[in-house]
Amino acid sequence: MWQRIRLEPSRFALHFAVLFIVALWTFPTAGLLVSSLRDKDQIAASGWWTALSTSEQSSQARTKGNADQVEKDGRFVIAGNLFEGDSAHSSLSAWGTNVNKPGANLPGATAELGSGQTLTVNADGSYEWGSATAFPDERGRRVFYVSSVPPRFTAENYETVLFSEGIGRSFVNSLTVTIPATIIPILIAAFAAYALAWMKLPGRGFIIAVIVGLLVVPLQMSLIPLLKLYNATGFLSKTYLGIWLAHTGFGLPFAIYLLRSYVAGLPKDLIESAQVDGANDFKIFRRIILPLSFPALASFAIFQFLWVWNDLLVAIVFLGSGEDQLVLTGRLNSLLGSRGGNWEILTASAFITIIVPLIVFFSLQRYFVRGLLAGSVKGG
Amino acid sequence: MKFRLALGAAALALTLTTPALADLVFKPGEDARFNWASFEELKKVDLKGETLTIFGPWRGDDEKLVLSILAYFAEATGAEVKYASSENYEQQIVIDTEAGSPPNIAILPQPGLLADLAAKGRLVPLADADASFIKDNYGAGESWVGLGTYKDKDGASKFFAFPYKADVKSLVWYSPENFADAGYEIPKTMEELVTLSDKIVADGGKPWCIGLGSGGATGWPATDWVEDLMLRTQTPETYDKWVTNEIKFDSPEVTGAIDEFGKFAKNDAWVDGGAAGVASTDFRDSPKGLFATPPKCYMHRQASFIPSFFPEGTKLGQDADFFYFPAFASKPELGTPVLGAGTLVSITKDSKAARAFIDFLKLPIAHELWMAQSGFLTPLKGVNNDAYANDTLKKMGGILTSATTFRFDGSDLMPGKIGAGAFWTGMVDYVGGKSAVDTGAAIQKAWDEIK
Amino acid sequence: MLEQLVSALVTVVLGVGGCLAYFYGSNILLDRLFPASASNDMAAVRNLKIQSSVRPWLFLGPALILLTVYLIYPVFQTIWLSFHDKAGTSFVGTANYSWAFNDSQFRQSIFNNFLWLLVVPAACTFFGLVIAVLTDRIWWGGLAKSLIFLPLAISFVGASVIWKFVYDYRGEGQEQIGILNALIVWFGGDPQVWISLPFWNNFFLMVILIWIQTGFATVILGAALRGVPEDTLEAATIDGAGPFKIFWRIMVPQIMPTIIVVWTTITVLVLKVFDIVLTMTNGQWDTQVLANLMFDWMFRGGGDFGRGAAIAIVIMLAVLPIMIWNIRQANAEQKGGH
Repeated sequence: MWQRIRLEPSRFALHFAVLFIVALWTFPTAGLLVSSLRDKDQIAASGWWTALSTSEQSSQARTKGNADQVEKDGRFVIAGNLFEGDSAHSSLSAWGTNVNKPGANLPGATAELGSGQTLTVNADGSYEWGSATAFPDERGRRVFYVSSVPPRFTAENYETVLFSEGIGRSFVNSLTVTIPATIIPILIAAFAAYALAWMKLPGRGFIIAVIVGLLVVPLQMSLIPLLKLYNATGFLSKTYLGIWLAHTGFGLPFAIYLLRSYVAGLPKDLIESAQVDGANDFKIFRRIILPLSFPALASFAIFQFLWVWNDLLVAIVFLGSGEDQLVLTGRLNSLLGSRGGNWEILTASAFITIIVPLIVFFSLQRYFVRGLLAGSVKGG
Repeated sequence: MKFRLALGAAALALTLTTPALADLVFKPGEDARFNWASFEELKKVDLKGETLTIFGPWRGDDEKLVLSILAYFAEATGAEVKYASSENYEQQIVIDTEAGSPPNIAILPQPGLLADLAAKGRLVPLADADASFIKDNYGAGESWVGLGTYKDKDGASKFFAFPYKADVKSLVWYSPENFADAGYEIPKTMEELVTLSDKIVADGGKPWCIGLGSGGATGWPATDWVEDLMLRTQTPETYDKWVTNEIKFDSPEVTGAIDEFGKFAKNDAWVDGGAAGVASTDFRDSPKGLFATPPKCYMHRQASFIPSFFPEGTKLGQDADFFYFPAFASKPELGTPVLGAGTLVSITKDSKAARAFIDFLKLPIAHELWMAQSGFLTPLKGVNNDAYANDTLKKMGGILTSATTFRFDGSDLMPGKIGAGAFWTGMVDYVGGKSAVDTGAAIQKAWDEIK
Repeated sequence: MLEQLVSALVTVVLGVGGCLAYFYGSNILLDRLFPASASNDMAAVRNLKIQSSVRPWLFLGPALILLTVYLIYPVFQTIWLSFHDKAGTSFVGTANYSWAFNDSQFRQSIFNNFLWLLVVPAACTFFGLVIAVLTDRIWWGGLAKSLIFLPLAISFVGASVIWKFVYDYRGEGQEQIGILNALIVWFGGDPQVWISLPFWNNFFLMVILIWIQTGFATVILGAALRGVPEDTLEAATIDGAGPFKIFWRIMVPQIMPTIIVVWTTITVLVLKVFDIVLTMTNGQWDTQVLANLMFDWMFRGGGDFGRGAAIAIVIMLAVLPIMIWNIRQANAEQKGGH
């Protein structure tokens, strides 16, 4: 092999270069994963790469209202703690009462608020708001504070998206679309591939040429005519059966192409000797071709699975957008709009949509690569 | 094997979740604000075993609200109600009708788009009784009927869409406490609004939060600005002619209004995130700047529905309030114009349940239940105004009634390809740096092409 | 929910079972109708003949029907539609095409598609080659390749979320949470709204596709590189050729057929790119591409099937040369025998 050929620059630079490229490629996904596990306020406040460090946040809380005032030595006092019901904060480093100066006072300081009112806020969040006259307002006043927040990781985001943003339901819908849309084309294509590879039939070359041609037909071409066709038939539009068939149709050229080249490469003697033994083609297919083609079938299955799972266009055109039909990609697309700035929801949702393909991909990478090679480097 | 495992796990996890429709928010018979008699009346309609599919524009928190209303319909009639929406609902409804599997009911905020669908024969006309109900029972009934009347496939005008839920658009939202902290007064005229904006800048703040992002509909919030400013710089008659393209998009009346908007949105000093951030900020996120510490901005011009997107727990009237987007003192002849909008309910696939649903919308209860929650205004006269969830909503109703001029959202009236297409993208281009004249010309060209 | 899972499982079983039943049933039926073990030899031979002429069609039948319905018929129907008005009812001649070529959005899309075609396949192939060469000579190269390969499994929508996060923009002076702007600020620059920077935003969208597809190029080119005969390389080294010279003069020409395959595969993909543009910008800020424009015309504002179809035909014409080239390659291979 040509690894032996000495190449400058040095080995160190080589490792560094690869490391750099790998970092470049994995950073975006890492950001997604890390963010999806962070506390939602922290995602909005600081970059995900600072996830492990303590961050400084400006927050606001409201004091209690006049219902809680007590008269003490001729003064009216409302006391309480700003951190009540908020476990994320434990201490504050500055506070203020004007929204434009959230850190005007140090902890423990007493601020004059005018008309005989004073406010003291301590580092632990406890406050005392005093006034010479009775507090008139039902509502307390706003107090702003600056606090350091330790890093916080949580699975809450996942809980939210799975159970209240509909991702869980869409996950099931995606499975409902994907599994049959993967299995059906395999069956149909395997038979067709065998016929095209080993059976005598007129026009075989022509059929193969057509299939090769169809490989690159943009599926956008099919959308309007198929919508019209589905409309005319009635029973296929916006049904799972309709989308299975659509995905089958769109996946077939590649499936037949891939499987045919594999099946055609099987040893000729094997098939001929079976024929001599009196086996018909159906038997040969079942007994010999199918078991031997497993690697190619697996390759295609992975392809088709990824393609269908990741598809958006076919799903929005051929399936409805109701709870019972919206697939993950469609859901994610709509969350991108309705939850545009809520990165905790987007990142967690996106991670759920990509986790299945990643698992499939990593556990079956061998077959996937083989399929890629067979599908692309024809003849070498 | 893996799939089956995953399937099993998912099944386990998901059988625990709740069904799509919410529980009844207000227990029937309990709250005197509501017209429960009309709810009892509804129970006579028996739709057991019927399924009603509804497609609407509401997503996220709004979706929860509409589901809470639909729950009452389902409860009373026994029908199974399925609601769906989509981020690109303007396109989705076309796909669904073309695919031959439309929902029973399509609810859209764009009369222009509904007119397109009606012209293609995709809508089922409503009964004449429905039209006369609107005429008699809605404030300014005649104009609401006009809003739902379109030409069908054969060119005959019919009543296709039932208006339900109105929005007032000419509102500026702000935080009263932030105004108090900074010592700002609510502006009464456009001139004062400009002075205030400059003052905020001088104080080191940003006066405005503007976000045009909205997925496939990015740009629409800007069309509201332009329409509002059109009504403040031109006569209502000019506005009407603009909507029907008697006055071209690139005429000085229109480009003038666009440039008025530019004074706000294209001014780096006036907008949070700068002009560059305007088009890429989602409209649902943009109001959140009002509530940041320190505030990212002090004012946000948006329709009455926007409180749905305020941070959780925001109390209307206390944490957030609004004032009327003022008119120019220098143009007293134009009075106090108000821009409004609404959603329209149409039948895309006829059924007994669909007709019953239209009848449901005539009942006060269908309006009061939403009024009592948030973001809902109605022109229906028979409702109990005490049902409004808060004084803020009541005050909005006031703006609606005290307007000297009321006009419906122009972009919604224009043909779908313009009002829900070229106008939106044109405004995005405008904020991105194109001149008003070029923007107007581009939109006009698109309009000429569909004639 | 559970109901749907059950019904999904049932339909899977039914669908797959139906498929199997068809293949089994039709073949058994064929065997029964024309038994090979007929009473006399003449009949048996005749039956065998019939069997072997019918059976291929039983095997091919479902595939041919599906291909016809889902791909071939639509191509012709789309051509027909492109000469008709928006509802597909009256003939309008070439009006849709002449509209397209005068439409600024369409021209913008053509220009952008051209940019995509120029940049994405080239970038993927280039990075693919570089990464393949580099990773082949370090011990953890397999792992590195897997990680670079990983985005290939991610949907375009998922990738768009990932990259939207990378490009996230906050106003000046605020803490940036998008890594790109954070880096810019760290180096002392001003944060940018990447996806709405005219012209350059096209490249920020292309980065997503390059990020996804480079793994594909790496794997295929890596395999081809490993097939380059060792003695050629050794001979070149002995002749004193430097590493870059070896790479460009010997390795690249040797694997040229594979490079073309990678290039054309990605080219076809680029022409169909839709999800990325839809989710990132929906064609705003001058990023429109043909596939998204077509979707827009088909379904926005009441829909115009004529214009939508015309745009589809333009995309089709763009892939036509690749299609013809592919068919010729396949035919040549067939003639060479398998």
